[in-house]
Amino acid sequence: MEQKHNISDNSNEYVIEIKHLQKSFNGRMILSDINLKVKKSENVVVLGKSGIGKSVLIKCIVGLIHPDKGSVKVFGKEVSRMNRKELDEIRTRVGFIFQGNALYDSMSVRENLEFPLRRNKIISDKKEIDKLVYEVLESVGLKDTVDKMPAELSGGMKKRIGLARTLILKPEIILYDEPTTGLDPLTSREISKLINKIQNIYQASSIIITHDLECAKRTSNRVLILQDGVFYAEGTFDELKKNDDSFVQSFFVTV
Amino acid sequence: MKKYFNHIFKRTKQKNRTKNKEVYSASPSGFQNFLLEIGELSRFTADFFRETFSYPYEIKEFLKQSSRMGLSTLPLISITAFIMGLVLTLQSRPVLVDFGAESWLPGMISVSIVREIGPVITALICSGKIASGIGAELGSMRVTEQIDAMEVSGTNPVKYLVVTRVLATTFMVPILVFYSDAISFYGSYVAVNMHGFISIKLFIAQAFETLHYFDIIPATIKTFFFGFAIGIIGCYKGYYSNNGTEGVGRAANSAVVISSLVIFIIDLIAVQLSEMIHIFSI
Repeated sequence: MEQKHNISDNSNEYVIEIKHLQKSFNGRMILSDINLKVKKSENVVVLGKSGIGKSVLIKCIVGLIHPDKGSVKVFGKEVSRMNRKELDEIRTRVGFIFQGNALYDSMSVRENLEFPLRRNKIISDKKEIDKLVYEVLESVGLKDTVDKMPAELSGGMKKRIGLARTLILKPEIILYDEPTTGLDPLTSREISKLINKIQNIYQASSIIITHDLECAKRTSNRVLILQDGVFYAEGTFDELKKNDDSFVQSFFVTV
Repeated sequence: MKKYFNHIFKRTKQKNRTKNKEVYSASPSGFQNFLLEIGELSRFTADFFRETFSYPYEIKEFLKQSSRMGLSTLPLISITAFIMGLVLTLQSRPVLVDFGAESWLPGMISVSIVREIGPVITALICSGKIASGIGAELGSMRVTEQIDAMEVSGTNPVKYLVVTRVLATTFMVPILVFYSDAISFYGSYVAVNMHGFISIKLFIAQAFETLHYFDIIPATIKTFFFGFAIGIIGCYKGYYSNNGTEGVGRAANSAVVISSLVIFIIDLIAVQLSEMIHIFSI
């Protein structure tokens, strides 16, 4: 199985900086002290049990959830201090792949892909939009689905279209919320390869939330384990696999 | 002694803190929930107005929603309005015949339809058809994270989803009410002709003879409020729906129930206000 190498430590350009992040829901502390720095074109995988707050963490990065305390900086700017316009601008540079794909049911694949372009008035020329739509569809290998509705697509296809919709804005950061959940091993492998391909082509930094160890192994430059609201362990996939700690080991028993 | 009082003071403080915690953590009562709901709805309405008047304007989506809402309710309104006009005439006729005032029938029916029955029945049909549709649509978009996806792609969902739908209902309901009134008049004309013959020209002349601006204008103004209530309640319930598919069903259901209730409340206020204005203007 292919494995990734570390991003050079010389790169000091952090695209995401999180310090002492805290978030609780209904009196229950989900994230108690999260500290994280993501370098340019680095893939960071976050592992952790279900309901531990992994999705909450990446939703704080795009301002979908507001943290109780702490600082979340994206491209050096504090997310909580941004006004609507600034937040929308940052959001066009940060892609988010939802666990359930979140494709717009009432729109065809073409309309789904055109939506962020037209809305953000990045390109208004019809020919140029068409060219971009076909370009991203080709990059996810689904050129012939352009006029299909989301309901006509399989789970794997929906994931790819969700990815294509994010890629069309050429984001510099991509946040993946369980990109391989619910997919068969072959399709999961293809999605993992696609994540690496995107990292290579677009030089995008990514945070990948996953339970899929194969996906983590294939895509990660660095792996973090979230437990009890803090990052319990950090390292490369191999370092963590060799770690003596019984809790860390419990994640790797199947590999 | 001082130490002892300090200790007592600390304990009382701790007790109060625990008490307060219990009060705050306790689930809100029905009345508190009602007040919270009113507060949230007011904030949502304020967001709607803020986004309505700020650039960019979603004209294409507004027209799409308007035509969709209008066309989807047209068959239902046509059938209901025709039956409404027909039945109202058939039911009222014997009483007027007893008083020898059969010729008043078109005038009486037109006043009832234009002032009250047309707007209220049409708004209730729209509430059932449109508010439930909006509640279910936005609710399913919320639970499948489509609204979040819209937000992270740099699109304001309140502007794109809520403003367009609320404006569409606000402007479509009055149009549908006019259409419904016309169909009801036709139903009434058919009913009158079941027991005799009256030309359409004479029927229209008699129907409009009794109608004044004072009947038409307040009735038209209140339909804009009906449309606004249908749109804003449908959107609010859908936009904040949760708990998966069960929540979507609940959102659609409560959108219909609450908007129907609000229609009656608006109607009551509108009648009182128009009466007051009428009295002062005499």
